[in-house]
Amino acid sequence: MSRRSFYPLPYLLTTSGPGLAWIALFVVLGVYSLFAISLGTPDPILLTPTPAWSPLDWSFANFRDVISGLNPSGGIFWEVFRRSFVYIVLAAAGCVLIGYPVAYYVAMYAKRSKALLLVLLILPFLVSYMLRMLAWVGLLSPDGYVNEALSRLHLVSQPQDWLGGRPSTVVLALIYGWVPYFILPLYAALERLDRRYLEASADLGAGRVRTFIFTTLPLSVPGILAGLVLIALPMFGDYYTNQLVSGAATTSMIGNTINTYIASTQQRAIGAALASTLLIFLIAVLAYYVRTTARAARAVVR
Amino acid sequence: MTQASATGRAHAIRLRLRRRPKVLTLFVWGYIVWSLAPALIAIAFSFNSGKSRSIWQGLSLRWWTDGPGSMLHNDVFRGALEHSFTLAVLNVLIAVPLGIGLAITLSRWFGRGSGAVSLLATMTLVVPELVLAISLFLLFTQLLDIVELGTMAQVIGQVTFTLPFVVVITRGRMSSISTDLEEAAMDLGCSPLQALRLVLVPLLQPAIVASVVIAFALSIDDFVVTQYLSSDASTQTVPMLIYNTARGSATPALNATATVLVVVTALLVALGGLLYYALSRRQRLGAAE
Amino acid sequence: MAGGEVRLAKLVKAFDEVTVVDGIDLHMPGGEFFSLLGPSGCGKTTTLRMIAGFEQPTSGEILLDGKNVALTPPHKRNVNTVFQGYALFPHLSVFDNVAFGLRRQGTPRAEVRRRVNEALAMVHMEAFAKRRPAQMSGGQQQRVALARALVLKPAVLLLDEPLGALDAKLRKILQIELKALQQEVGITFIYVTHDQEEALTMSDRIAVMHEGRVEQVAPPEVVYEEPSTTFVADFLGTSNVIHAVATQATASGCEVRVGEFELTAGRGAIDARGETKIAIRPERVTLEPHGSTGPNRLAGMVERVVYLGNANQIIVRLPTGEALQALVQNTGEKLAYEQGDPVRAHLPAEALRVLADTGAAEIEEQAAAAA
Repeated sequence: MSRRSFYPLPYLLTTSGPGLAWIALFVVLGVYSLFAISLGTPDPILLTPTPAWSPLDWSFANFRDVISGLNPSGGIFWEVFRRSFVYIVLAAAGCVLIGYPVAYYVAMYAKRSKALLLVLLILPFLVSYMLRMLAWVGLLSPDGYVNEALSRLHLVSQPQDWLGGRPSTVVLALIYGWVPYFILPLYAALERLDRRYLEASADLGAGRVRTFIFTTLPLSVPGILAGLVLIALPMFGDYYTNQLVSGAATTSMIGNTINTYIASTQQRAIGAALASTLLIFLIAVLAYYVRTTARAARAVVR
Repeated sequence: MTQASATGRAHAIRLRLRRRPKVLTLFVWGYIVWSLAPALIAIAFSFNSGKSRSIWQGLSLRWWTDGPGSMLHNDVFRGALEHSFTLAVLNVLIAVPLGIGLAITLSRWFGRGSGAVSLLATMTLVVPELVLAISLFLLFTQLLDIVELGTMAQVIGQVTFTLPFVVVITRGRMSSISTDLEEAAMDLGCSPLQALRLVLVPLLQPAIVASVVIAFALSIDDFVVTQYLSSDASTQTVPMLIYNTARGSATPALNATATVLVVVTALLVALGGLLYYALSRRQRLGAAE
Repeated sequence: MAGGEVRLAKLVKAFDEVTVVDGIDLHMPGGEFFSLLGPSGCGKTTTLRMIAGFEQPTSGEILLDGKNVALTPPHKRNVNTVFQGYALFPHLSVFDNVAFGLRRQGTPRAEVRRRVNEALAMVHMEAFAKRRPAQMSGGQQQRVALARALVLKPAVLLLDEPLGALDAKLRKILQIELKALQQEVGITFIYVTHDQEEALTMSDRIAVMHEGRVEQVAPPEVVYEEPSTTFVADFLGTSNVIHAVATQATASGCEVRVGEFELTAGRGAIDARGETKIAIRPERVTLEPHGSTGPNRLAGMVERVVYLGNANQIIVRLPTGEALQALVQNTGEKLAYEQGDPVRAHLPAEALRVLADTGAAEIEEQAAAAA
């Protein structure tokens, strides 16, 4: 039987009214402004962006520019988009390779040390992202500890310019920045995993490796996906990590391009259209993810 | 198979699964060192006696309190710290009550439209911060001109992306509070708003503590929205300062400034954690038995 | 305490498309211990919640001492509730829980202390005043919940399965205490339960509910002995319900035919004709050896004997294919019948009821669903 409590509408409005108004004013209207600029036509003389608030004034010219810019043969955005995609995929893979064993160990094996390990896993969240990047800027500088250690070990003959625009540095910085965000949700998923499945698998004669490959790993796929979503979304909007550890145009990502276009008054509408396209793309990916995981969950229940 | 050997076998299986692989143990501790050491080194460099942020030249408080270039005596560093904390406090004061109010309604309203509102209230969690920042930047420059870029716009931006976190935290707690308790309050003579004040808010205390900590930490750590909605040097926060000067010739005073943020955040989280633990222990929901 | 009269008139509650309470008319005079009894989903809790004010009726009236309160919010009704899960405020001590309602009324401090202590003494919980709810057992929480509601001296106390979460032994003790308490304070208790035994032990009157409607309202012994519908007969303890054809009314009751046997039913709808159903409680059926004669006897065969401790339940298969249960008290002697024995079942006319037609269709539905 449905057990709903009786609340008068004024009560609901009193508690949620301000929050709802805030969301309407800043989230809904904010995103609408983004699209209004994207769909607007620039002022013919000043070339400043003019928002198209009414659907009647919508022009898709900026979106057409973005789409043709994403053309693999000669589009102006193609190279930076491809590069961002490669960096993000590599960084995400790195996060899985480093984060999975850590989450797996803490969830499955840690006993007395578990509380301590969890605190240590949470500590990076207390240190601001920028400070963590600043730390690497110090370590990787020509006279920093990394070069010193490498030359002591005779791995390099002279100090390397790690911060001079190396893609590997950018990918490693992304991994370093985001791996803590990947570990925690995955740990939570592994922690909830029903141990009886693993015991059943071992009982059926599977060794530890086989139990892991055929039981633990498939069961932890939802946790891995949740962690990947959590880190991939912000990486698509990241323009500061590569600026700090490289700063070169050859390692710039889609976020930097959007940034540049928004900063220039005359091309702001193109920047807005790029940001809108990114938003639509990510929401489509996310909707697909939500739908498939919901379907998978239903299948398990059945 | 007898009962005894069955339990013996189950025990053996459990032992086999629990045996810790040594390589993995090493890997985990290696990760922890890797994840924390750089930040600790950066903090240590704030006590460097030399001007470098990468070569250690001896211990001093030169960049903290002594001398003209120290964090304490430099308006840029001090200003950034002050602005970071101002924004964080304002963010907590606005985002926490708004988010809790929203969460209360969302967890007690099942009528038509509640699904859509719920989606809207948590949507910004999946919008990349850059897109949110640009949206608000365009909104304030093109439509809502009464909001000028600077402190006001920055607070609005931070509250907007903090709200869903507060909503999610509070809804979690709300789902463990039976509606019977609010009904009991009304049954005993409370108006709905009195029930909110006398029963719901006290029971939500752990969620309020958690929300305050999260709202503060999100604000302190935020870069993208805060930078997009800033106006001039007076609205520069510490993360912006780091971004603008890390690759330049900044002194270890920059590390000292960042360290202050870390220490304050850590203290607040520790305090919040203790308070949360004490509160939820005191108000266990449900019977002892 | 004067007053406490509750009258429900044509009360209806529908959630979206589902009608949960479907036109209820009930009258509870002041000071009565009244139970709403029925299976889960029958609408009894919704009815109680409407009286409390947590739900607004879709239509109909709730008259409290003659005044329609159907749309009055809960905090303005002189009615208090004891919740199924007790709903004690976990952040307040026992004392503050009980004082909660008094403080909302602006009662002076000294009086709050006096009345709270009185109420706690009434439920034997005065020693627990400083405890928090989480530090008490279920039974103790239950007593505090009662004190919290009674301290306000409501005209009507509503109890929503208050003993549901307790173990069987404690439940028995609290049943007796509750009844004594109700007689002591003298206010109207409206008690919701799905446990027929609870309702039978405590109530002055019982309303048996089914699918949003009231099937029968009567004192416990009437509801039990003289169920007016098939549903009531079936829900209140096991009852044998047998298909029969009513032929004629005589001075001693109604002549019915079950298969080739003629029986007289002395109770119920004795003026019924044609296809009908008759009911008899298992404890009223006596078994006799095969070949014994006399009126009101059916032949059958023992299909199964179930040992229940204080009694043996014997299932007899009738020639019509229907099963008849007989309950034989355990006297320590060896049972005279075994599986497969042919027997005669005696159904005394004064224990045999002809059921009203209303519920007939439902029993058939249930039988079809079971098969």
